[in-house]
Amino acid sequence: MTVTDARPAPKSPAAAAAVPPVPLAVRARDVLISEWIKLRSVRSTYWTLLVAVVTPIGLSALVAVTLANAPGHGPALDPLLPGVLSQEYAVLAVGVLGVLTFSAEFSTGLVRTTFTAVPRRRAVLAAKAAVLGAVTLAAGEVVAFVSFGLVQAVLSGKHLGVSLSRPGVPGAVLASGLILFVVATMGLGLGAIVRHTAGGIAALVGLIVLPVILALLPPPWGARVSRFTLVEAARQVTALHPATNLFAPGLSLLVLLAWPALTLLAAALLMTRRDI
Amino acid sequence: MIEIDQLVKRFGGVTAVDGLSFTVRPGHVTGFLGPNGAGKTTTMRLILGLDAPTSGTARVNDQNYQDLIRPLHQVGALLDATALHPGRTAEAHLASIARSNGIGRRRVTEMLKLTGLEAVASRRVKGFSLGMKQRLGIAAALLGDPPILMFDEPVNGLDTEGIAWIRQFLRALAADGRTVLVSSHLMSEMAQTADRLIVIGRGRLLADTTTAELISSSTRQDVLVRSPRAAELAGLMTARGATVNREDDGALAVTGLDAPAIGDLAASRGIAVHALIPRTASLEDAYLDLTGESVDFRAASPNTPEGPSPEPPSPSPEPASPSPEPASLSPEPASPSPEGAPAR
Repeated sequence: MTVTDARPAPKSPAAAAAVPPVPLAVRARDVLISEWIKLRSVRSTYWTLLVAVVTPIGLSALVAVTLANAPGHGPALDPLLPGVLSQEYAVLAVGVLGVLTFSAEFSTGLVRTTFTAVPRRRAVLAAKAAVLGAVTLAAGEVVAFVSFGLVQAVLSGKHLGVSLSRPGVPGAVLASGLILFVVATMGLGLGAIVRHTAGGIAALVGLIVLPVILALLPPPWGARVSRFTLVEAARQVTALHPATNLFAPGLSLLVLLAWPALTLLAAALLMTRRDI
Repeated sequence: MIEIDQLVKRFGGVTAVDGLSFTVRPGHVTGFLGPNGAGKTTTMRLILGLDAPTSGTARVNDQNYQDLIRPLHQVGALLDATALHPGRTAEAHLASIARSNGIGRRRVTEMLKLTGLEAVASRRVKGFSLGMKQRLGIAAALLGDPPILMFDEPVNGLDTEGIAWIRQFLRALAADGRTVLVSSHLMSEMAQTADRLIVIGRGRLLADTTTAELISSSTRQDVLVRSPRAAELAGLMTARGATVNREDDGALAVTGLDAPAIGDLAASRGIAVHALIPRTASLEDAYLDLTGESVDFRAASPNTPEGPSPEPPSPSPEPASPSPEPASLSPEPASPSPEGAPAR
């Protein structure tokens, strides 16, 4: 039996203890690739991404058709609305993917192996966030631009569409591609905090939906509160004609990104303190 | 080398590890024994930095585990073989762990081969038997070729074949000069695998010794004597300072005189002796002596009177090992590798 490598001179334990210093950047890249291997080696990743990409594209076309054929066009229709509306359903899929990315490790116990291999737990969290973020950002932009193309193709038949060259449109479309990324990374943070799949998903849905209820507060409190919600922030940054009683799109973008950022920050703070 | 110093871990009001100190040295299989709930797994988690100690230290190669860079090159651990993502293949599982410590695919393939899993490398682990998962866990622990290895209950739930494989494997790793710590609550298993033993109960150290010493330190060592003139012989032996207990079937259990002395004594008086059997306490007995008071949840036993039990230890309570072991497991870990031996 060969327990050691097939190398000619096996290293002594002393030599093994004196591992040559490995640059931080190399170690960071290795943890990143490790998480990339994990993400692409389970089926749930593909299923959730498929749902997150196909559903909103199909839905947006459907919404566009409905709007285009609505009898008597009421007040000015935001031509970007169908693309955004349809994404609101797809976010659940990537949200679940985000939660699972950590909670599945906790529920199986695999997290102990992970943290034994990489004792710097925040490096693991950062690597997971980077890998998941990159994948969902790419998927989100694909959804955003494909949906935009489809929706405008439908709407332009009724002369309701806009072109990508119109001021404000590229930014709004790009921003709508952020939504999947935002919800996925927020889910990741919640999965790390709650450490339980069902609980993490419940927390994610709660954080997205419950604040919306606060918008029902009597004016002016409704608007004052709801401009901090994920849903309103997402609508502000993706609308061609943003609402005037909420934050401006620039500030809304900060609100949108602050949700996952704060969640991940909380996860990072808790992560090193808790027993696994 | 693993050094535990005054380690304490409390979970709320429960003290799982209570001032534990011991050192695990290279070149031996060190058994880490204790009843269920004694704190073995918690201790291992503290060593790996998964749990934070309430006080005290656990160090590996003079470092805190959290400070290790690419720790898989220094410590390999298998805590729970079933802690796997069911949908991931064996190879992807190992590759993701390996990569995090800069270990390449070649080593992954080698470890799959070594543990006999190459044929199932691309299968999802949800279809794996417990034995296969144990092997996968061992493969993961060996990825970094570490000088220190820790296994938590590695034979739990395995069949005889799997137990034999792991036993030989652990011995080969120690013969290689590695530090090998193996926890178990199965005494019979440790008797055949470990050279040194660390016994704990309720989070405290009960013994830190060699397997042989632990057996010999047990009080239950005696000689079984059968004779047609048992009563007469018993009187003679008692006169020589021996303690004689009469067993149910009329045999005598003698302590304080060894077998040759009893034989000579009987011969000098012309007393026929039909049986003269030196009995050594099994490790199981020694273990029970040690842990008897520290079992957290012991079943009430109606026929366990106080004081020394009149019934003798059974001569050879080694139920776990039908000796002709099936030697058929794929990678044969019986002989330590020639290149692994020197200078470890």
